[in-house]
Amino acid sequence: MQTAASNSASLPVAQQAASVRTPGPIRHYGRYLYLAINIAILVFLLAPIAIVVVFALNPTPFIQFPPVGVSLRWFEKFFASRDFMHALGFSLEVAVLTTLSATLLGASAALALARGNLPGTRLIVATMLSPLMLPAILTGLALFQTYVLLDVGRPTWGLVAGHTLVTLPYVVRTTLAVLHNFDMRLEEAAQNLGASPVRTFFEVTLPLIKPGVLAGAIFAFIVSFDQFPVSLFLVSPGNETLPVTLFNYLKFDLDGTIGAASVVSIVLAFVVVIGLDRTVGLRSYVKL
Amino acid sequence: MSASIEIAGVSKVYDGGVRAVDAVAMDIRQGEFFSLLGPSGCGKTTTLRMIAGFETPSSGAIRVDGADITHVPAHKRDMGMVFQNYALFPHRTVAENVAFGLRMRGLDKATITAKVKAALAMVELSGLEDRRPAQLSGGQQQRVALARAIVIAPRVLLCDEPLGALDKKLRQQMQFELKQLQKKLGLTLVFVTHDQEEALAMSDRIAVMNGGRVEQVGTPTEIYNQPTTRFVADFIGDTNIFRGERTTTSTVASALDVGKGLILALPPTEGQGTGVLSVALRPEKIRLITRTDAATAAGSSAHGIVENTNFLGGAVLYRVTLESAHRVLVQQPNAGTSRLFVPGDGVTLEWTPADLVVLKD
Amino acid sequence: MMKALGPLSRRRFLTAGASLGIGTIAAPYVARADDPTLRITGWGGKWGEIMKAEIGPAFESEFKCKLQIDSAFPYLPKLQASSRSAPIYDVMHTNSNEQWAAAEMGLVEPKIDPKQVPNLADVYPYAVSDKIVGVSIFTSAIGLGMRTDKGYGSVNSWKELWDAKYNGVRGGYVIPVNSLGQAFLMMCGTLFGKGQTDLDAAYAALEKLKPIKIVDFTGAMEKMLLSGEVGLCVIHDSGIYRYDGQNQPTDFVSPSEGVLSLEQVLTITPGSKMKELANAYVNYMLRPEVQKRLAETVWYSPANKKVKLDAKYDAKLLTTPEKVSKLIQVDWKWYNERKDEIDQRVNRIFRA
Ligand SMILES: Nc1ncnc2c1ncn2[C@@H]1O[C@H](COP(=O)(O)OP(=O)(O)O)[C@@H](O)[C@H]1O
Ligand SMILES: [Mg+2]
Repeated sequence: MQTAASNSASLPVAQQAASVRTPGPIRHYGRYLYLAINIAILVFLLAPIAIVVVFALNPTPFIQFPPVGVSLRWFEKFFASRDFMHALGFSLEVAVLTTLSATLLGASAALALARGNLPGTRLIVATMLSPLMLPAILTGLALFQTYVLLDVGRPTWGLVAGHTLVTLPYVVRTTLAVLHNFDMRLEEAAQNLGASPVRTFFEVTLPLIKPGVLAGAIFAFIVSFDQFPVSLFLVSPGNETLPVTLFNYLKFDLDGTIGAASVVSIVLAFVVVIGLDRTVGLRSYVKL
Repeated sequence: MSASIEIAGVSKVYDGGVRAVDAVAMDIRQGEFFSLLGPSGCGKTTTLRMIAGFETPSSGAIRVDGADITHVPAHKRDMGMVFQNYALFPHRTVAENVAFGLRMRGLDKATITAKVKAALAMVELSGLEDRRPAQLSGGQQQRVALARAIVIAPRVLLCDEPLGALDKKLRQQMQFELKQLQKKLGLTLVFVTHDQEEALAMSDRIAVMNGGRVEQVGTPTEIYNQPTTRFVADFIGDTNIFRGERTTTSTVASALDVGKGLILALPPTEGQGTGVLSVALRPEKIRLITRTDAATAAGSSAHGIVENTNFLGGAVLYRVTLESAHRVLVQQPNAGTSRLFVPGDGVTLEWTPADLVVLKD
Repeated sequence: MMKALGPLSRRRFLTAGASLGIGTIAAPYVARADDPTLRITGWGGKWGEIMKAEIGPAFESEFKCKLQIDSAFPYLPKLQASSRSAPIYDVMHTNSNEQWAAAEMGLVEPKIDPKQVPNLADVYPYAVSDKIVGVSIFTSAIGLGMRTDKGYGSVNSWKELWDAKYNGVRGGYVIPVNSLGQAFLMMCGTLFGKGQTDLDAAYAALEKLKPIKIVDFTGAMEKMLLSGEVGLCVIHDSGIYRYDGQNQPTDFVSPSEGVLSLEQVLTITPGSKMKELANAYVNYMLRPEVQKRLAETVWYSPANKKVKLDAKYDAKLLTTPEKVSKLIQVDWKWYNERKDEIDQRVNRIFRA
């Protein structure tokens, strides 16, 4: 009797509580929580950039909070330095060459992997992506030793080859991703309408996989432009990339020039991404 | 312009060992609307793709106007194709899609523009030139695909379930228009469908396929009225199939004993014989009357009870259980004058022995 | 041997020519394709600038050769990875501890031949002591760096660093990766135990140094001192003196117990095909006028006794036998043999 009574009394309370919590407010809290998490992630991602910018604009040769003023002296020093300018030019040169070779090789490889009935496709894909698993410094060291063994010195193409090795996986991955969703019947339709395989590739396949290839190319450019571990062993005296030059500079002169160089790098990466977007177009026609 | 196609003993075995097409032989005449009909997986698409040049036959040959094209690459076959999902180029406008084949043929700009315009007018899409495929409805996309295929004046037009994705109303309209267009242009058209009504409505001739083989080739009436195999009879429309031992009774010289006391008189064309046989009897060939105990014709009538009714509008479909326990479909036109039977009604079924179709197994 | 190097130097020459457009320094001496190439390592920063602008080109024109200076770290792993019979460097310039590691692996020759390098006769004893592989061409003094604007009073002992008033503004190094930190650890043994090799005394002393701000780069310590984040720290004299003339409130303290030496050491690789030129380079770097120029650029104390620095530099750097006698050299051979064990131990001390 008593248990029955207590049951019937407690049940509505529990139901009430549940009904108050679930539908309205929880969804509200959820929204705020979602927003808060997103803001936190954004801050987390952008804070380092903000610190770099503050460091670059700070007139004193060390970071100071609050900053004591705004000055472009580190930018002046950066742009006036022959070493830095040479390194910047060389880094751009290497990044462009790397982007070209990684994109050409990576996209072709992805096409072959997605299309050709190659035996052991999975193994080949794994091999192509493996430079991502290996610490890049080992890749650099191994290449360095190979070049030494072959007695070729440390040529620019050797550096580009090293960068290509570590950027290839990005192009292969992004291209495979678009190819995965690629409707083969579009190519058949083109052939049916009289397009030779080569024309089919340029008229249909390439424009449609372009977003993936381009995304890979942008990754390749940025990864190469920022590359440090692979370059470390492969740069030759007088031809050092910007990250290597910055690292060496850091050992002797730790001042805002580093910050200025970083800001310039970030801006350049931005310009490249936006430039590629505007000229070649990043917009995707295919649903990914 | 249009060509004839000869498929001579073509088989296709895929890598995994699947025999998708098995010794198919058929002649498609010039200017003919020819359908490949059969259930999913029977090899229709594979056959069509071999004609288009996307697959190479494992054996056999394909000839167009007598010339062997078995190993001619797809882009040199001069055939138009409408794909099941249309396969429109998403990165090109409607006009560019239609112009594609013309560009590949190296025509000059002015000619291309004129032909694209005419083709789009033909499929009633004028004014949509600059849209992209994603901005069109399914029906419009279908028309673009059609315009793109016919604008090159192909020797053969191949369509793989081109109307499958459309809703029923639109499908019927497009069926009509496609047929009109085919007639007007005198196109040789190979049409793949799993929809028997569509095939019956549109085709000059139909090849019914099953398990990679052709079961029967014929005009829609031949296929419907004289199915030669049990599969065709069963697949095309509703039908009643009986199987039994050949026999002779006192009244009927050539009859079939289908068991439980039901004896069917075979058509007069069928001579006396022995052995097992299947026959088909279309539901609409059976007359249904209120049960009468008056003498009924031996071998061409039976008594039964209505089990359920299915009102179709223009007709009524009854499921009747015979005294022999056979269940039979009967279709009666709905003239709107007489009372319809209801479940439980006792009925008598009558038919003409000549309407029985003897089937090969 | 000239034949083998021919293509290499031509390639160097061509790439140098090609990159001129981007903006390399136009060296006054135009190297010819068949000139021999001497491959060396060298610091960046101010040192690198003066080497590239003056000292290197002067050497090139005098000895009719091409100087290829690798100023990208890390030198030792690169040398290690190259073949012993064809090392990528002829002369290696780096700090003493790394030279000892290289010598242990047989990657560099332990001694320089005084017959090939006449200027060796003029160096202070420390530069060729048994604590040195090759020759030390310069040294810095590791002592204490302090802020002069915080009213700390005068400091003249290492032991000041343990004073509680520096809690929160005390600066030291990540010992496993920084030579100054390693040298300082040895100093702790001397200060509180039986000597440099008294590791237990050193560990105990380090334990008592906490709280301490530790950095990996020496440059970072300079900045922390400049910004006032650190008030008293272990640092080398050149790291303070280089801001001379900027009116920074910082000063270098040379403790009464002595300063540690941070030597700039040159060695020659045994597999070098350019031995003669390599010896000439070492000799050249020990020339009084070269020593003077570099010393006054980067505030390093020259190893050559005959160098006469300008008064400003002379006052602060170790330019007399008395001043040089305050230098304490670290037994890097001993240290390197125990490096792993020491690293583990100090990591534990500073992680806790
Ligand atoms: N590329 C292929 N590889 C292996 N088997 C296939 C391939 N394409 C179709 N098949 C198989 O061949 C048979 C016929 O397929 P298909 O011609 O597409 O039939 P339909 O168009 O009549 O539905 C099916 O069993 C199908 O699974
Ligand atoms: Mg199909």
